[in-house]
Amino acid sequence: MAHIPDGFLSPAVLAGTAAVSGGALWLAARRTRTSLAERQLPLIGAMTAFLFAAQLFNFPLTAGTSAHLLGGVLVAALAGPATAMLVVFSVVLVQALLFQDGGIAALGANTLNLAVLGAGGGWLVWRWLLALLGTGQRVRLVAAALAAFASAMLTGLGVALELSLSGAVPLRAGLLVVGGAHVFVGLGEAVLTGGILALAWRARPELLSALPTAGPSARRWTLAATAAAAGVAVLATLFASSSPDVLQSAAVRFGLRDSSLGSAPFAGYASPLLEPWLVALAGVAVVFLIGYLLLRAVARR
Amino acid sequence: MGFHHLDQYADTESGLKPVAPAARVLGTLAIALGAASLPPGAWLEMLVPLLLVLGLSRVARVPLATLLRRASVPLGFLALASAGLLVLSPGNPVATIGPFTVTDGGVTLVGSALLRGGAAIGAGVLLVSTTRFPDLVEALRELRLPAVVTAALGLAYRFLYLLTDEMAQLHRAAASRNAGGGRVARRNLMLGITASALTRGFARSERVHRAMLARGYTGALPSLHPHPLDARSAGAVLALSLLLAAVVVAARLR
Repeated sequence: MAHIPDGFLSPAVLAGTAAVSGGALWLAARRTRTSLAERQLPLIGAMTAFLFAAQLFNFPLTAGTSAHLLGGVLVAALAGPATAMLVVFSVVLVQALLFQDGGIAALGANTLNLAVLGAGGGWLVWRWLLALLGTGQRVRLVAAALAAFASAMLTGLGVALELSLSGAVPLRAGLLVVGGAHVFVGLGEAVLTGGILALAWRARPELLSALPTAGPSARRWTLAATAAAAGVAVLATLFASSSPDVLQSAAVRFGLRDSSLGSAPFAGYASPLLEPWLVALAGVAVVFLIGYLLLRAVARR
Repeated sequence: MGFHHLDQYADTESGLKPVAPAARVLGTLAIALGAASLPPGAWLEMLVPLLLVLGLSRVARVPLATLLRRASVPLGFLALASAGLLVLSPGNPVATIGPFTVTDGGVTLVGSALLRGGAAIGAGVLLVSTTRFPDLVEALRELRLPAVVTAALGLAYRFLYLLTDEMAQLHRAAASRNAGGGRVARRNLMLGITASALTRGFARSERVHRAMLARGYTGALPSLHPHPLDARSAGAVLALSLLLAAVVVAARLR
């Protein structure tokens, strides 16, 4: 259920996802205004039409299931993340308006899941993998397939969280059912993205988007820093003390324990599904992405 | 293949025709958001957006049978997607189907999803039945959607027929030579067709761009039927929004 229909999400989730998606699209539109050549506009139109048409066709998977292309990483690999987010948003918009595939009120949530998390998040995973593995053509294809799988999982995670926050399903059940279904969607997405990119690049090598290649030292540093962060996070959760930390102790001493501003979604590194060390690893990934985005923004100035 | 049949009531003389496309888009959004804002179980209030859609379809002279036929596919998907909530949502057990237990919370959620989603789907069907796609794109431009999105939508609409036709032709050609027998061969065939459509789409877009430049394209896609948002249309949307807001407030206070 990558396209959430109307009727499932609460007004707060609808408003929150619309605000986040609106902000992300505004940034993407601003980015394309400065980076996109006027002659590329028909290309974007063609890509939007392609993605829409490709989503009309179902591909056979295993175990009697079939899937259609989501296409976020595919378009991001060809045209960059900002353009990909706008292209996927255009497809989501047309599907909602013309074919009622995905809700009109839920447009913000579907944009967040498919365009922002699917295309933008998937592209970040792709770039991260390229920094780790190198940027040869075969590596790019394999990394794109892996990133496509991750992008489908991110989309599924977004759907499960939104349904859970709306009170439609408990988080654990949502993660199991929606997340589980997106494992199959992700496998299909990986095969389709890798396959289509391989065939398209063989026919039109110039389609490969101009990527700044990471030097060997940058790659080594990325690899070392990622491994170190992941190792520290896992070790920290294994050897962590259950006693309250300094701030918590102070809060208890001053009688502030019951006046917390709100509860964190994974308080105490506890998750309904995952072990604490897996939650910590996920945390490392999120922090990595936030840091990467911030550094990119600073480096551009 | 074409999608012209979708807007077959765009030229019908009706009470909806003088309403600007931007106002129609906003009205559709208001109905969808109004229905989505109603709390689960507010059955009486959920009838209001549904009745509004039915009333507007009468004003627009879109036959009820057409509205229901076009809404049936997304409604079927909605029913299918929401069925799982019957057993996944927390609540008191009301029935047992095999190993699954249906809860009262699940029944309320599914009923609410169908009614709220039904109103939004009906409003969407009404919008596309009475508004041409280029006018929709123009309305979105008027509502300040990023220019790159509206331009991409306008161009995509033009390419869409060509591309889907091209993919269908490739599919027919493969079927005529019995290609794609077996799961793996079929998957490879579909991959080939899709990749071929992608490269052909790019080649076509370059040709179209050159043709557009030759005809004086300067980066803007003007509308042939400009119908900007006027005071009367804005007033109608405002009245609709206020009515829905009042219904939502009443349902939340009850």
